[in-house]
Amino acid sequence: MPWKDRYTISDERTLDDSEVTWPEGKRCCFRIVVDLSPVCGPEGIKSADLATPEAFYGMNGGLAALRAVLDNHRLKATFAVPAVMADIHAGTIRALADEGHEIAAHGFKHEDVSLLARDEEQSRLKRTTEILAKVAGRRPEGWFSLARPGDKFAGGAVSPHTIDLLLEDGYAYFGNGLADDLPHWWVSDFATRRAILALPYYYHFDDQFFLLFPRKGTGLENPDALFRNWKAELDAQYKRGRQFSMVLHPHAIAWPNRLHMLERFLDHARGLPDLWHATSAQSARHWVTTFPAATYLKLEPSIWRDYPGSLS
Amino acid sequence: MDTSTELANDLAGGLDREIATLKAKAVDYNARHRVIENCTWPQGVKMAVNFTADFDTMLLRRLLNEPPSQLAKGEFGGRVGIWRLIELFDSHDIKATIFTPGRICELYPQAVKAAAKSGHEIADHMWEHQVPKDPELERDHLRKTIAAIEKLVGRRPIGTRSSHARQLLLEEGYIYTSEDSLDHRPNYTGDPDGARPLLNLPFHYAIDDAMFFSFAWLNSENSAQRMMDPDHVEEIWWQAFLQQYQKGGYLNVCMHPFVSGRALRIAMLDRLITRMKTLPGVWFPTCEQVARHILDAHPAH
Repeated sequence: MPWKDRYTISDERTLDDSEVTWPEGKRCCFRIVVDLSPVCGPEGIKSADLATPEAFYGMNGGLAALRAVLDNHRLKATFAVPAVMADIHAGTIRALADEGHEIAAHGFKHEDVSLLARDEEQSRLKRTTEILAKVAGRRPEGWFSLARPGDKFAGGAVSPHTIDLLLEDGYAYFGNGLADDLPHWWVSDFATRRAILALPYYYHFDDQFFLLFPRKGTGLENPDALFRNWKAELDAQYKRGRQFSMVLHPHAIAWPNRLHMLERFLDHARGLPDLWHATSAQSARHWVTTFPAATYLKLEPSIWRDYPGSLS
Repeated sequence: MDTSTELANDLAGGLDREIATLKAKAVDYNARHRVIENCTWPQGVKMAVNFTADFDTMLLRRLLNEPPSQLAKGEFGGRVGIWRLIELFDSHDIKATIFTPGRICELYPQAVKAAAKSGHEIADHMWEHQVPKDPELERDHLRKTIAAIEKLVGRRPIGTRSSHARQLLLEEGYIYTSEDSLDHRPNYTGDPDGARPLLNLPFHYAIDDAMFFSFAWLNSENSAQRMMDPDHVEEIWWQAFLQQYQKGGYLNVCMHPFVSGRALRIAMLDRLITRMKTLPGVWFPTCEQVARHILDAHPAH
């Protein structure tokens, strides 16, 4: 049995704060991910999911309001876009790309890939890459599998094949790593050191879990808690010289009271000297160059054993 | 007697038996537990605060076949969180207790050794984060954990956060548990006649990070998720501390490295500890130190 079987990481310890560096002597990396999937279930986006007021707001008034705030703060974000959304809203996605935002993949239709056979997953992945490349004008470097509000676990789903399929298809990073608050190497095969760069995600910095979660009419509105989580994490990570990333959903964050809160937070972030405002792809490129797996992925020897009477 | 009188007597007898059954259970339970009413501390100490970390890194979720994102969330505890907690405690000269599942000694040996080297207590938190129902397997699991911890840190654990059987723990040389909230003060559990007592250092879920900051905690519904911010929790814990400080009491703060080890929460704990230290006479020992003091100053018999 390989070391840490079914875990995602092999090396035992994260990089020390003092080892972390960012381009041009910047102090801390700051990253915004915008999820352009409407609310959907584990099967992914269905027709009914697109014909809702929230879905309409998310791709129209909500998105426009969020873009205006990003523009005002001169921030470029990573838009995680399901292939079907890129196809439906090709003009909007192309415009976002032309403005300098990053267009990353977010599944074929934001489905739970752990429910798919390998061939099916591979076929959807390749099709997604093609659609996004065509719509955005360049192929996506990163792949996200962000959580849906109804998911039992808030970390996003992967299948046993996802990481290998992403590597085979040439993806540079995977956007959902929960094992660190820095970019880190997600090991898919111990023997061959096969690994993909995972960028950190944590649901406490994802707006959808605070704004009438889990669904409108039944959830509680907690934008103040979201603001304090963002600010506390950014301040702590800035002090350490690490990184901060947040996930936004236009249908949620753009509503006036929330957008005002976001602006307050971005004002605070913009006030921190030497904060590196990067897209996910820029952050990944820096990491792959500066902390390559060849030198920084330390595989620990296998000592995990099976025991009679233990669950393993 | 006529039939209706017999029926009335039967009913009354049934109610008496019900009361007797309930009373017997309550009397038996009460007889097994004794709270230390006026716990005193070593010279100069007004209050004892145990910082405790359950170093489980979502181990049980792996064994329950939960998906990779859940395991990755737990891995944060072993890769990042535990190191930050050790650094935090060391920076405040606090000796903490790390309740460690035996299998964690295989997954994160460097972290367990580093914690012990800093003077923190490595105590038991079950072999794989659950207590088997079969008594022989339970003994096997407890002994496996003792062996795993002893091999890494050079001494046997003498405390546990688990529901391992008291008799078994006593046989294996354990002197305390830190498992439940029978009272906010330390207490003893024994046989109804007071025999075979075992000290418990209580913790309460209200002073447990996972109750405030965790998603999908053991099958909870999405509408019941715990997405609070650190300021909110700092105030709850500060109030618990302050109330016990005024009484000269005890507080056990339960953390999980994959939860409290996040940067925003380490910063909150740093503030909380700094605040606690502004008051004179606060003692931050390991659970073992508290247990040895109580066994000496307030023995069960």
